[in-house]
Amino acid sequence: MSQPLIEAQSLTKRYGKTIALHEVDMQVTNGITGLLGPNGAGKSTAMKICLGLLKPTAGEATVLGEKPYENITIRTRLGYMPEHDCLPDFVTASEFLSHMAQVSGIPPKHARTRAADMLRHVGLDEERYRHIKEYSTGMKQRVKLAQALVHDPIMVLLDEPTAGLDPAGREEMLELVRRTGRDFGINIMLSSHLMGDVESTCDRIIVIEGGAIIEQGAVADFTQESATYHIDVDDRREAVVAALAQRGIEATVNSGSLVVRLQADEQLDHVRDALAESQARVRRLAPARGKLADIFRRTAT
Amino acid sequence: MTEAQGEIYDLGYQHYAGPRGGRLHAVRSLWVNSFRTTLGLGRGGRAKILPVLMSLVIVAPPAVYLVFAAVLGIGEQASHADFFEIMLLLLLLFSAIMAPELLIPDRRNGVTTLYLVRPLKAVEYVAARWSAFLCVTLAITLFAHVLVLAGNMLLAVSAWDYLRDNWRAIPAFVLTAVIITVFVTTIPLAVSAFTERRAYAAAFVISVFIITTPMSALLTVEDCSLARPQDAGSGAVVDEEPRAAIDGFSQGAVYFECRRLTGEYAKWFVLLDAGRAPTHLGDLLFDDDEQDDYALLVAELPRAVPIAWYALLVLGPGAALIWRYRSLKT
Repeated sequence: MSQPLIEAQSLTKRYGKTIALHEVDMQVTNGITGLLGPNGAGKSTAMKICLGLLKPTAGEATVLGEKPYENITIRTRLGYMPEHDCLPDFVTASEFLSHMAQVSGIPPKHARTRAADMLRHVGLDEERYRHIKEYSTGMKQRVKLAQALVHDPIMVLLDEPTAGLDPAGREEMLELVRRTGRDFGINIMLSSHLMGDVESTCDRIIVIEGGAIIEQGAVADFTQESATYHIDVDDRREAVVAALAQRGIEATVNSGSLVVRLQADEQLDHVRDALAESQARVRRLAPARGKLADIFRRTAT
Repeated sequence: MTEAQGEIYDLGYQHYAGPRGGRLHAVRSLWVNSFRTTLGLGRGGRAKILPVLMSLVIVAPPAVYLVFAAVLGIGEQASHADFFEIMLLLLLLFSAIMAPELLIPDRRNGVTTLYLVRPLKAVEYVAARWSAFLCVTLAITLFAHVLVLAGNMLLAVSAWDYLRDNWRAIPAFVLTAVIITVFVTTIPLAVSAFTERRAYAAAFVISVFIITTPMSALLTVEDCSLARPQDAGSGAVVDEEPRAAIDGFSQGAVYFECRRLTGEYAKWFVLLDAGRAPTHLGDLLFDDDEQDDYALLVAELPRAVPIAWYALLVLGPGAALIWRYRSLKT
């Protein structure tokens, strides 16, 4: 396993009597990591501590091997895209990005080149000399992403990058995030309250709720095939249930489908035999996949 | 039609392998940006109108003086202290209008967050903005005084003799310019840190200086109408009934003691005229003999008081400005 980019141990943040983060232990490694949780779960607080904007009440966090609230120079290698509006009105995107690159430590000549390159990568090449005020919401969101990447950070933190976008704009933004992580090789921590965004974009996931981590791991682990199978038949459903019962397999009905939970792979043969015996017309026999929503359901129960 | 002779390759994303600066580089970049923003450089024509116009208005009095001295050879050699008094109001107007431009748009548009997630501390952000603004204002002020100096040299019999005899005026006007520009830049920036509207910030600063001058004058005005007549020699009260003084303070052997409205406290109330705090320090530097009411009353106070008052007027807003940005929610 590679060296963690972000590591938190017993990280706690209190605002008066309100606990925003409670003894959080987490590791963020290479790739795209999703920080998933409902509003008020503590995602933004965790990001602000990682950026060094907040100091933890207890515990500690290291980012790129340094404590971010003690050594702010690491921000030359970090990018951040806030959720809220953060762009000036009467400045061109090109000029704005060039300035932001310079404030991040890039010399003026290189900053101009980087600004032009980044605007091309986010699809704003043609519009780069227009005032940002004239941009649509989707274009502004892309400028926000570009300013976070313009100084070529090792890691970028994206706070709700699809907020306020329509479905098409949302998919474009997620595609840009995927390209940033996979083609540009920039590590990403993406916070979102939308499971679909995290599931379709991230390699790893950290689920946070009420200021505490409730799950973390590879997205594939949460969405892998399970031992539960869905069977859809056009007719003779009762005969199928009876045939399965004769073979010691209990079937339940859920949303019109028969659901069976198998103890071993060999039981699939019994399912095949039961379907053949009942002479039902089979439309689907498929393993169920886990969903990220199951994590929240498990926590609730 | 010519045949294609080359191909365009998309090299994809290129990582940056060049030099990288740290915090000092970040502060310097913001300083340059602030300097350009103050003068409207790199922006459209409309953004340049106000700063250019205001700068011309500030430089106009010394420029007119120089033209009269150089072309027409008329006029008397002017005092730098007098020009500072004329320029103070213009510099205040310039600062009140331009200072909000440096801080308010960043906060209103949320850009401050992007600065504070870069290698910049809140204090460094404020310091870069303030020092760039100070440099622009100082440059305009010094340029105006170089014109005054040139005018004085042209009106003298020998320019070099004038310079040799009056060289001390140069460090004096440089120091006074620093005192005045620190004052006129800090207060408007501090006010701009607490409002989202540029017009409110400008109006507030201008109003404060417009209101405090007559307020101070009102509280320290000499009131002879209720004076009790005294014997000019002994000073004994000759009539218990207050009488109005006519044509001055003494009538024959009877002397009318005029009193200031706030009596003994007038020397403190005069300090309310905040705009005079920096120019008074300048007067002290120039050993200006002209003694107006303000100077007469302040002279009754220990010498450290006007200096401490000036320091308070600058450091107070300066501390408020830093506190505001350190406690800013990002």
